[in-house]
Amino acid sequence: MTDITAEPPTTISRFRHLRVPFLLALTLLALALVLNLLSNLGGLALDDDVLLESTLGRLATWMAHQTGNDPEEIVSPWAIYAENWAKALGAEELDADILYTAMRNMRIAYYGLIVLLLVYTLMAIVVRPRRAPALLFVILLLLNALLFLIPSLEGSNALTMLVFAILAVLAATVLSPGKINRVVGFFLALSFLLVGWEASKAVADSLSYKILLSQQSWIYQTEETMEDALAALSAGTVDYVIADRKDLDDLMPPHPPKGDDTTALPYQGLRYLASLDRSEGVAILPITPAFPGRLSIAVRADAAPDVASVRDVFGGEIATIAGDFADERFLSQPRSLVLLDLKILNDLNLPHLQMIAEAFLQPARRNGELLLLRILTDAGVYTFSEAIFGFVFGAILGFILGSVFAHSRLMERGLLPYVVASQTVPILAIAPMVVIWLGAGQLSVAVIAAYLTFFPVTINTLRGLQSPAAEQVELLRSYAASRWTIMWKLRLPAALPYIFTALKVSATASVVGAIIGELPSGIGDGLGRAILDFSSDYSMVSTPKLWASIVMAATVGILFFVAVNLAERLALRRYVRSSD
Amino acid sequence: MSSETKSIAISAQGVNKIFNPGSDEEVIALQDIHLEVQAGEFISLIGPSGCGKSTLMRLVGDLIQPSAGELLVNGKAPHRARLDRDYGMVFQAATLYEWRNVSKNVQLPLEIMGYSKTERQKRAQAMLDMVELGAFANHFPWQLSGGMQQRVSIARALAFDPSVLLMDEPFGALDEFTRERMNLELLKIWEQTGKTIIFVTHSIAEAVFLSNRIVVMSPRPGRITEIVSNTLPYPRDFNTRNDAAYHDLVANVRELLREAHGVE
Repeated sequence: MTDITAEPPTTISRFRHLRVPFLLALTLLALALVLNLLSNLGGLALDDDVLLESTLGRLATWMAHQTGNDPEEIVSPWAIYAENWAKALGAEELDADILYTAMRNMRIAYYGLIVLLLVYTLMAIVVRPRRAPALLFVILLLLNALLFLIPSLEGSNALTMLVFAILAVLAATVLSPGKINRVVGFFLALSFLLVGWEASKAVADSLSYKILLSQQSWIYQTEETMEDALAALSAGTVDYVIADRKDLDDLMPPHPPKGDDTTALPYQGLRYLASLDRSEGVAILPITPAFPGRLSIAVRADAAPDVASVRDVFGGEIATIAGDFADERFLSQPRSLVLLDLKILNDLNLPHLQMIAEAFLQPARRNGELLLLRILTDAGVYTFSEAIFGFVFGAILGFILGSVFAHSRLMERGLLPYVVASQTVPILAIAPMVVIWLGAGQLSVAVIAAYLTFFPVTINTLRGLQSPAAEQVELLRSYAASRWTIMWKLRLPAALPYIFTALKVSATASVVGAIIGELPSGIGDGLGRAILDFSSDYSMVSTPKLWASIVMAATVGILFFVAVNLAERLALRRYVRSSD
Repeated sequence: MSSETKSIAISAQGVNKIFNPGSDEEVIALQDIHLEVQAGEFISLIGPSGCGKSTLMRLVGDLIQPSAGELLVNGKAPHRARLDRDYGMVFQAATLYEWRNVSKNVQLPLEIMGYSKTERQKRAQAMLDMVELGAFANHFPWQLSGGMQQRVSIARALAFDPSVLLMDEPFGALDEFTRERMNLELLKIWEQTGKTIIFVTHSIAEAVFLSNRIVVMSPRPGRITEIVSNTLPYPRDFNTRNDAAYHDLVANVRELLREAHGVE
């Protein structure tokens, strides 16, 4: 008899004794990968792409290029630094090789630091396991920073090795004992996101951005010439001829007719399908290759109305001309069902993290005087100032409306529906009207930002002012307190936590409002213009810049949120229960 | 206590209270209430839910107005008495402000009534000393137990020295032991201050232990079935509860309440 009262070991406790070997193995793997990265680096020539194409390499190239120009044109602190360096060396221009060497040495030192930390971690895992999580966490951060520096290059596996090293350290950090606090949790998730970004791109790349299911290919016969093919069609040997639409248009009338005079064309008994549904596939999943736009299908005139789509033709008796586009580039190609299209992961749509970092540390235009980082920071500060103006304006308006509604049933019943309705109108529709009324300028932008800001404040002020229990109000009435005193002593303090909740929502909304407001206002100094510029030209050059603008916009919003959050903690420091 | 020398604090003559008069939801909450309370008396209102005991208290406190009858507090209309700050109120919930510390909570009525800062602080500290919470002046409400919070609430009600203390099931949410201790402390405070206290309760034992007179009420419509005089001598203490007279009174009130309920 077995003892059924004994609890079965849980998965975690059963494998607990394996934790240390696991941690050691993962750390060793990371160490091997980083050592490999380091050894590859040491043997590189200064002009190797691995160095030149890296974020710092590109920055070095630009810095060197800035030296020797008219000193009055040099405005970027990076360029001034390079200029001073050149002066210190007594040279007119700074030799780029000096910068490359410096940057390579910095990278070697950085890798060396990671290696040392990894070795120390290996010892710590065995001797002092309590230290391991903190060490692994620091290593994780250091490795993550490299994602922004190492380029993805043909023939270089540096990025792949880095991704695996991060995965190993990430797994080790999660497995290592100890509590996970807020900061560690945040960076673990961030690290997971970043490495997931690169890993999913790598996987999609290896699959050529499509997951396919093989299908039966086209079955068809080839004829020597167009005449032969059309003769076979007229004779009824085949039912369809697939050929260039241009050629068919010269030989037979289209179906449906276009209105041109086609009576002179030689094949009056045939029609080519002018409005053909080219989509083919199962449910919403498409077939690749798709029916090319330059091709069309010829049928006998009587059959033309029965053929509406390529789907009707597949499996029929088909002829084409040997060696033609239809034969070589379409019908003979392997045919597959596209189960998953991964094109959102290609470099155009989702750049490597390094490309985004590089976009920050390169001028917006080739050899420009200012780095994009500086341009976007200035734009961010500008947009932030508009957002703050709109936020304050909206918060005051929202508070006034909420207070009025809290005190007057009539106003609440009468006006609240309009306040709600105002938020159902898209901001994009309101923004141009505001610009027309108030003129293009920062005032309009602030009003548009306020439009998004006031609503949460109104609703939460109303709720907050009404939140005290009836007994609380009766207590104050028993002191013969006036309405104003009840508002000031009870309702307003009770509403503060509600109002701050709304302000946190409004802070981020005001940044969105400011960015949207900049577009119809034609304001060129803010983030809205930057986003518009970089998204209008959708290319390998500007997509990373668009992403850089997105990162900057998010940063502005987050900073605003954090500022309001700090203000809340300060204002509600006595409301211990509600502020957490 | 000799009642002859005392003046009349509260006088209700034929008071009626009808909620939503004339509508389908019309409720006769109180009917034909006659009650006279001497200054310095401790009166308990007891009865089943819906008998109007809280309504009566709120009428006295001018939080609602009677539909008919005459109600006087210290010889004035309740509204006048409220404006004169004659009432201290204590509810079942302590209704302390979480964003104010204990001392600031006690000072709240004083702030509203325009006392100077030094006077406020002096009075708050005196009241807190009286409820034995002098050491907790700088604590916040959430740092106190339920019983302590209720004591702060009593200190707040007494801070501006009102002549009438209206208490609506103040110890209803406390456990039995805390409740008995609070009863003792309340009696001590009452003996020290000589306030008139209207005390609404569900507990027969509490009503008998505390009051000079027990007003037994019955529901639908709310009315007074009997006013029981309680001659148990003050000061009362833990031993009072072992007294045979105490037990007789408890049995008497329980019987009256059973009859009141039986009317339904």
